[in-house]
Formats: sequence, structure tokens, C-alpha cells
Amino acid sequence: MDNPILSYLWLVPVLPLVSAAIIAVCPQPCRRLAATLTIGSMIASFFVALAAFLTVLGVGGSAGGHGGGEVFRGFFNFEWFRFGGEALRLGLLLDPLTAAMLVMVTFVGSLICIFSVGYMSHDKNFTRFFGFLSLFSAAMLGLVIANSLLLLFMCWELVGLASYLLIGFWYHKPSAVVAAQKAFITTRIGDLGFFLGMVWLSSEAGTLLFYDGGNGLLEQSALTKMATGLTVGGMAVSTVISLLLFCGAAGKSGQFPLHVWLPDAMEGPTPVSALIHAATMVAAGVFLVARVYPLFSVVVGPETVSAALQVVAWTGAFTAVFAACIAVAQNDIKRILAYSTVSQLGYMMLCLGVGGLAGAIFHLIAHAFFKALLFLGAGSVIHGCHEEQDIRRMGDLRHRMPVTFVVYGIGMMALSGFPFFFSGFWSKEEILHWTHGWPVSQVPFYMALGGAFLTAFYMTRQMFFVFFGKKHSKEAAGAHESPAVMTVPLALLAAGAVLLSLVATPAWPWFHHFIEGGETHFDFSVFFVFGNLALMGASILVVGAGVGIGWFLYGRKDLPEAVADPLDRAAHPVFQVLQNRFYVDEFYAATVFRVLRGAAEVAAFFDRFVWGGIVLFARGVARFFSVFADVYDRHLFNDGFDSGCEAFRDSGGFLSRLQNGKIQSYLGVAGAGVVLLILIIAWI
Amino acid sequence: MNYFDFVKILSPEIVLLLVAMGIIGMGCRGGKFAEAGACAFLSFVGVLLAVGALIFCAPDGQMAGGMIVLDPLVRLVKFAILAMVAVAVVLLQADRPSYHVAENFAMLLFAAIGLLLIVGTEEMLVIFVGLELAGLALYALAGFARSDLGAAEAALKYFLFGSVAAAFLLYGMSLIFGVCGTTELQAMSAALRKNAQEPILTAGLAMALVGFGFKVAAVPFHLWAPDVYQGAPTPAAAFVASGSKVAGFFILAKFLFIGFGGLEGSAGWGSFAPGWVPMLGVMAALSMVVGNLMALVQKSVRRMLAYSGIGHAGFLLLALMAASAESLEAVVFYTVIYGVATLGAFGVVGVVVRERGGDSFSRFAGLVKREPVLSFSMLVFLCSLAGLPPLAGFFGKFFLFTAAMGAGGILGAAPGLLWLVALALFFSAVSLYYYLLVLKQIFFISEDGVAGCSGEGLGVVPRAVIFLLAVVTVGLGCFPDLLLGPIHRAVEVLLGN
Repeated sequence: MDNPILSYLWLVPVLPLVSAAIIAVCPQPCRRLAATLTIGSMIASFFVALAAFLTVLGVGGSAGGHGGGEVFRGFFNFEWFRFGGEALRLGLLLDPLTAAMLVMVTFVGSLICIFSVGYMSHDKNFTRFFGFLSLFSAAMLGLVIANSLLLLFMCWELVGLASYLLIGFWYHKPSAVVAAQKAFITTRIGDLGFFLGMVWLSSEAGTLLFYDGGNGLLEQSALTKMATGLTVGGMAVSTVISLLLFCGAAGKSGQFPLHVWLPDAMEGPTPVSALIHAATMVAAGVFLVARVYPLFSVVVGPETVSAALQVVAWTGAFTAVFAACIAVAQNDIKRILAYSTVSQLGYMMLCLGVGGLAGAIFHLIAHAFFKALLFLGAGSVIHGCHEEQDIRRMGDLRHRMPVTFVVYGIGMMALSGFPFFFSGFWSKEEILHWTHGWPVSQVPFYMALGGAFLTAFYMTRQMFFVFFGKKHSKEAAGAHESPAVMTVPLALLAAGAVLLSLVATPAWPWFHHFIEGGETHFDFSVFFVFGNLALMGASILVVGAGVGIGWFLYGRKDLPEAVADPLDRAAHPVFQVLQNRFYVDEFYAATVFRVLRGAAEVAAFFDRFVWGGIVLFARGVARFFSVFADVYDRHLFNDGFDSGCEAFRDSGGFLSRLQNGKIQSYLGVAGAGVVLLILIIAWI
Repeated sequence: MNYFDFVKILSPEIVLLLVAMGIIGMGCRGGKFAEAGACAFLSFVGVLLAVGALIFCAPDGQMAGGMIVLDPLVRLVKFAILAMVAVAVVLLQADRPSYHVAENFAMLLFAAIGLLLIVGTEEMLVIFVGLELAGLALYALAGFARSDLGAAEAALKYFLFGSVAAAFLLYGMSLIFGVCGTTELQAMSAALRKNAQEPILTAGLAMALVGFGFKVAAVPFHLWAPDVYQGAPTPAAAFVASGSKVAGFFILAKFLFIGFGGLEGSAGWGSFAPGWVPMLGVMAALSMVVGNLMALVQKSVRRMLAYSGIGHAGFLLLALMAASAESLEAVVFYTVIYGVATLGAFGVVGVVVRERGGDSFSRFAGLVKREPVLSFSMLVFLCSLAGLPPLAGFFGKFFLFTAAMGAGGILGAAPGLLWLVALALFFSAVSLYYYLLVLKQIFFISEDGVAGCSGEGLGVVPRAVIFLLAVVTVGLGCFPDLLLGPIHRAVEVLLGN
């Protein structure tokens, strides 16, 4: 499958990388240059990505109805370097998954970079910020187009690094530094699993290329080998490797129990939260599972659902509900969104686990749009309210920030899954559809419904606190609308959040077929199949209930900051637990950290007393001898040493005389050299 | 093979010769055409034409029993030398020579012709003639700045040392000819197998090694190098350190591998056997020790580069001792990337010399403020010379040491050179220290009140060329296969014949 676009694909990550490199050597005052380079390279990448997307569209035959059910898959492998007889090969891959992700990342990334120009305009480290953004974009795009698990892993670590740098961007704030380290270390725990899985995979499959004309690790021969091989506990090798890789995915995508870093990561600037911790990087875990989906889903024998996918599904379902519960009781506008992100990532994992690959990716992309929209909206609110983040201290912003209010409302409705005109509704629909049809258990389906209810509820709560009621603080009273460089990207994202709903309705499941292959027909009657209708009804009902109860509790009358939350009054203990995020951080502090601290104490004890004692003893012995040595030295050796020194100095003088600038002596040395060479041979 | 093929194989040299003659003619005419810009342009065109001739005109083949040889590997090395000549032309133009402007460029081209001749031959007399041609041109090049006492002294030393070395070489060659009755390397090795035990051969070989040791600046034939690198005009020194070294090592490898194949001997610890390998071993060990230790205490950056170059020559001799196809590949790869980094480093040094009137370490203080791009390039060059990944120098050293450890890869069949490799690794770590001293001055020490006797700044072209060299160094570090692949294929072609 040779296609000209493949030879240009490398431009997509390299353009932002070049921009990052240039910005890295620019001095701080080059603000305009840095912003121009970053945005320019992102937009250029976007056009290349768009070309790639259209190529996939045209060749794959999934659109327009001609061609078979095959999906387009082009790859380009090259040798990185050769080590003895072994060559290390990397490659680039273009398939529908990559193409969709590329377009999403470059489009959302461009808008967020433009937004940042306004948001970061007062920051003195403006240039550095854009350098990091470029670095991040390059790494993320590299991750998406990698045709080798190794290349993917390298980019994976690079996005982790960029995320660390950007969370800790305001390094003068101690909380930001702590959050950055927490994020880095927590994801690193997951990456350990990823790395082990990769090494194992390499030894089993003999390659780390995904596709290699029949020899890749995602192709039939390698998959069959891994699925039939058994390891400890009778599990298939493919299952164990999948679970190890899933550790990395869970760390990056904030799945329980490694979700703790993501809410804290909101210490970074808001555009970073939008780009990295909502739209793109956190979705990398989902992308990883989707990329190696054949490995996760391969089964042999009587089973129908692979064990690895079951783990993925249950983890996703639990995380979705768990994080949604926490979001209900938070007061920081960005933290609510962060927990909502964790919850939505759980939905994506759940959907992957129950077999809905296309549904998960569609939710990923739709989520990227509306969550970036929400975060940037929140950024606009925070910017307008002079860095106030507590929703109880806002209120009545709909009059002062009308544009932000409208686009935020669209984002909120998309996230809650308001019927018919929002992408979130259809993507949630697809997830519910797949969970309902899962042969293993119906429990995740009900968990997903519960999560949908909670989502609608906490978003309604937030809307009423922020935009309705009365002004609750000076900051809210002095709020102002943000400049156009911030509101225009918001409007574009809002349009995306709405328009995306057109391509994935059950009546015209275009996106599904784009990802998984197959022909798309327009079939309106699907709506009226009883199962679909019932599902849709249930989902609308649940969302309606969420919004309704939200309005009942928070919308009817104004709630000043001093008045306790209605939920708190109704069920104080439960609310406390939720507000404290189920005490997960405290649990880690009490268990993991305590064990580590204990180990450190033991090590310190050994150091101080055992090893220290040995050193003290050695010192004593040495001292004892040194007394003797001193006497010996002073009276016997010193004279000898002095004369030795003199000889040394003389020889140094001799050496320096060799390089004395006199050509005669140079030639003498050369002549001596010849004699030396001859003598050596003669001696041997 | 007819006479016309002979011309075709030599077409790059002929083109360069005509251009060099033309430049001298322009110099005699004087006026506008004798200025540096015009001469540089013409030289550059000449180099481009030579490259073109090499690509489109010269066929692979052998003439007159190996007097003139062109095979893929030779072609590659000639490319490398021509590229270095092009860079040297740019540096020379940026240096604005004040006397004999046209002759400066002509001499550079004559030196290039000599180097191309050495590379493309398998015959002792042509080797000698080529070495002399290149040598005489370089002596003159080093001494053209006649108002500068340092340059005159350097040129004289270079010339005296070089002519004595040439005398040794010629005498050694005649002894070898006496033993085996031929000057062709291929025929020589066959004849030598019968007369391997001749003591006179040892003397001949040792004397020949003086000539080559002089060319590549290996201890104890290195003493001219620090004085010349420091005293001669920077572009001349840069070319002596890069292009001349590439050719020197390549022909040394050919001379030993082809002419003395089968007479290697051994330098394995505890299993010494007579041959050229132990001779190289002595020179390698001495070069590594003396070069790196002396570099530690230098005050002048150019002297430091000279001594570090001697250390690098030690590493390269070490790889030659493995006497395998891998070691040939590694040596070619390493000399090329060493040449690239050295040219670049000398380019930056030249700027400092012109702007600050000297090249002692303290003159480099605060360079990053004045010349951020050049400072960054210098960082790349010096880190590559020190062998830090992911720069080209790292892979160069890696391949070099792997080759020295034996043909079978790491810990292969012949770990006898382990002691030398350990020594090399140790001194390679030592070398990082003196490179970092320069970088410390550039990046961390702020300029004290020394009022710069600032000359004219560097033009755009030389600036771009230095940056390009840095890019090449990084690029070959990330993708060593870009260069190593062609070398590997060329060597395979060679072995296939």
C-alpha cells in the first residue's frame, strides 16, 4: 500500500519539534516569534494531517460506499541503526485511527495555542511556555503515528516529560512543584508495567513493529503464537502482556487506582489543563489500548471475551462512577472538570473493554472537543474573575461574560449528554449500546447509566453556581469578558462539539465504519427499532433526572457562599467522604508512603549504625597504623621522598624540554621513536 | 583500460588542478579578481565541479597495477575530503588572508589534489608523491601570513619536521622495495609472505610509519602539531586537522591492510608477536596518554585541540590494530565525523581569535551572549569530540572500540586488545574534562571588562556553514546509518572483489 502521503507523514511531528528546538535557543523576549512558530507549525501539521485524513477517506472506501469493508492501512518502516547483525527498526503508520487522532490533536492543539496567546499574555515566561507546548505537540503527534511500540514508548515518555514541565510551569508555587512530581511519579508507576510488557512482547514476538507486512506483532502469526502460549497460572501470554501494557495506559489515562495525579495536575496553566490533561495526553492511554486492540482482544478456544478486556471494562466502569461521585462534592471549577475527565476516560475504557472500539474513539474525540471547550471556558471565567477558582465565590456571570456563558453551556450540555444535537449524547448512546450488549455481565451497563446521571447532575450544579444566582464576591462583580483571541477559539470548539454529532448517529454510523471498515448507508428507521428506542429513552430519562434534581437543589434560589451545600445538609457523612475524594490520597499516605518511610528508616539505621560503625572501626584501625606510619615516614621515608620528588620534577622538566619549540629536539624525539619501534619488535 | 579511462578516473584531480592554475593566474593579474571573494567563489565552483566529475565522469577501476584506483570506498573518502575542502574554502574566505590571497586558495586546492591522489592509489611511489604534494602545499598555506611571526615559525617547523619525516618514509619504502622487489601494495603482500622474517623489513616498516605517523600526528611523531595548530592561520590548521587526517588514516589503513596483510603480529596482553600491530600499539598507547594528558594543562584552545587530536589519533590507531573490515569502516566513519567536528570547532575558534585577539580559554568567556548560535554549535562539536550521545562522536567511538574488541562484536573472538580499549575508555573520560573547560568559559563565565578589539563580524555564509556542520554532527548521531550504511556497502563491494 504505497501512498504518496506516507512520505510526508513525518512532517506532522517534526514541524512542532523544529519549532520547539528553535524556541529553546531563543532568548526570553522573542515572544511574538515563539507564538508564531508554535501556532504556525501546529496549523501546518493540521493541514498535513487533513491531507492524510482525506487520503484514508478516499482509499479506504469506507466513505462514499465504494470499495469493500477493508480499512486503509499504510506504513513506512525504516532502519534506525544497526547493532552487529541486529537492526533496530522504527516506523510510521497511517490508518483510520491515526488519521482521526491526528486531525483532532492538531485542530484542538492549534486552537488551544491561539487561546494561550491571550491567556498567558501577562506571563514573563511566555516564550518558554510556547516552547513546551511545541515539544508536547511533537511528542503527542509522534505517539499517534508510531508504527513501533518502542517509538510509541519514547514519545509516551516525552509527553510525560512535557506534562511534568507544564504542570510545574509556575515553579514558584510549591503546590505546582509537588503536583508536577506527583504526576510524573504516579504515571511512572504505570510506565513500569508498560516497559515490562514491551520487553516481554519484544522477546515473544521478536519485533516491536505493529505492522510489517505479516511479521508485525499485531499480525496474525504473532498474535496466534502469543494467544496459545501459556504462562504462570494458566494465563495466555497475550493476556499478561496486555495487562502489563494496561498498567501504563491506566497511569496515563488516570484510571483507578492511579487517578490521583490528574486532579492535582490542574495546578498548571489552564490551557495546559485543556490540551494535555483533558483533550490529548490523558487520552493516550485509551489510544494505546485501541492501537494494540488485536492483542487485547485475541482469544483462542471456547472463550468469547478475553480476560484482558474484562479487566479493562471493569476498571473503566468503576472509574467512571467513582470519579463522577467525587465530582459532585468539589468546589474548585477546574477540579470538577478534572474529576469529570477521569470519569469520561473511564467511559472510554469501558467501551473498549466491551468491544466498542469505534465508540470509544468517537467518545475520545468528542470528549476532546467539549472538554477542551469546558476547560478553556473555565480559563476564561478564571481570567475574567481575576484568578478566582471557587465556584461558590462566582455567580451571575451570564450577564457579564455572555459569550463564555453560551459556549460553556454548549460544552456542559455536550458533556451531560443532552439529546439530539450534541456529540456527547450520541457517543454516550454508543457506549450504552455496547455495554448493554456485553455477554459477560449487565452490571457495567447500570454503572454507566448511574454515571450519566451523576454527570448531568454535577454539571448542572456547576452551571448554576457559576453563571446564575447573585454575585458572591468582589471578583465576580468585577468580572469582564475575555478578548477575542480567547473567545474565537472557544466558539470554534463549540461548533465542533455540536457538528461532530452528525457523523455518528445510529442512523448514519459513518465514524464507526471509518474506524472499523464497512459501508455506510443512511437508514433512519434504526431509530425505531425497539431496543434502540428504549436505550435512548433510558438515557434521556437519566440525563433529565440529573438536570432536574440539579435545578431543584441549586437553581431555585441563590446560595451564598456561607450556606452549606444542600447535599451536605441532607447527608453530611456521605458528602464529607466525597468532598475528601474517598480519602484515596490519605490512604496512600497511610499505606504506601508509610511502608516507604519505614524502609527508609531501616536503611538509615543501617547506614548510621552498622555501616557507620564499620567505617568508624576502619578509621580507628587506620589511625592506629598511621601513628606508626607517621614515625616511619618522618624519620625514614621523608628524605627518600624528597629526593624522589626532585627526580620527578626533573623528568617533568625533561618532558617539557621535549616540547621546547626547538625543531632539532623534535626531530631527535622522532628519531628515538623509530629506534623504539624497531627495538620493540626485536624484543618481542 | 585505455588512456582515456585514465583521464576519466583522474578527472576530479584534473578539474581541481585547472581551477587552481586559473586562480594563480588571476592572482598574478591582480585587481578585483585577486580578492578573497572571487577566489573563494572560483575555488568553491572548482570543488563542485570535482564532485560532479567524481559522480558523473569517473568510473570504478584500476590503472597501471594499482597506481590509480577508484572503488566505492575510495569514492566515499574522496567525497568527504572534497566536502572538507569546500568548508575550508569558506573558512579561509572568512579569515580574510592579507598576503597572497589567490595563492592561499590555490595552495588549498593543491593540497586537496595531493590528498585525493593518496586516497586513490595502491602504489608506494604515488603515495609518496601525493603526500609530498599535499605536504608542500600545506607548509606554504601555514606560512602565508608572513607578517605573523607565529605563523612563520609554525610553517618552518612544519616544513622541517615534514621533510625529515618524508625522508624517513622514502628510505623505509626503499628498504621495503629492496626486500620484495615491487612498489605495488597488492604484489608486495604476496612477496612479503615469503620473506616475512627479514630484519631489514622491520626497519623499513618502522621508518615508513614515521612518515604516516607524522601525517596523522601520532606520538612520538606529533611534536609539530601543537605549534602548527596554534601558529598557523586558523583555516589552514583546520584543514590540516581534518582533510589531511582523513586521507592520512585511510592510506595508512590501506598500506598496512593490503601491503602488509598477513604480517599483523599481535599486541594481545601476554601474547605479543612481532608485526605491525604491536608497533601501532605502542604508538596508540603513547598517543592516548600523551595527547590527553598534555591537553589537560593547555592554556590555548588551539593547542588543546591539537593535543586532543593526538589523543584521537591514538583511538584510531587502536581500531586499525584489529585489522578487520569492521575496523576499516569504523576508522573511515570516525575520521569523517572527527573532521567535521574539528573543522567546526576551528571555525568558532577563528571567530574568537579575530574578535578577541587570542585563543586562550579566557577569551571565550561570555561567548554565548555575543554569539548564541556559534556557541551552541561549539557545544555540539566539543560534546561530539568527547563522545557524548546522541552526537556522532558517540557512535564513532562506539564503533571504533567495538571494532577493536574483535571482529565478532562485543567480547568477540579476540579480546586481546582489552587493555588498550580500557586505556582508551579511561582517556576518553579524561578528555571530557578539557572540552568542558572551554564550554564552561563559553556558557557560564561572564565576560569581564576586556574591551574587545573586535574585528569585523562573521558573514552569513561561514556562519551557516558552521551551523550546518553542527547539524550534520547531530544528524549523524541520531541516524549513524546515513553514513555508516554507504561505508558498509562500499567495504562489502571491496571484499567481494
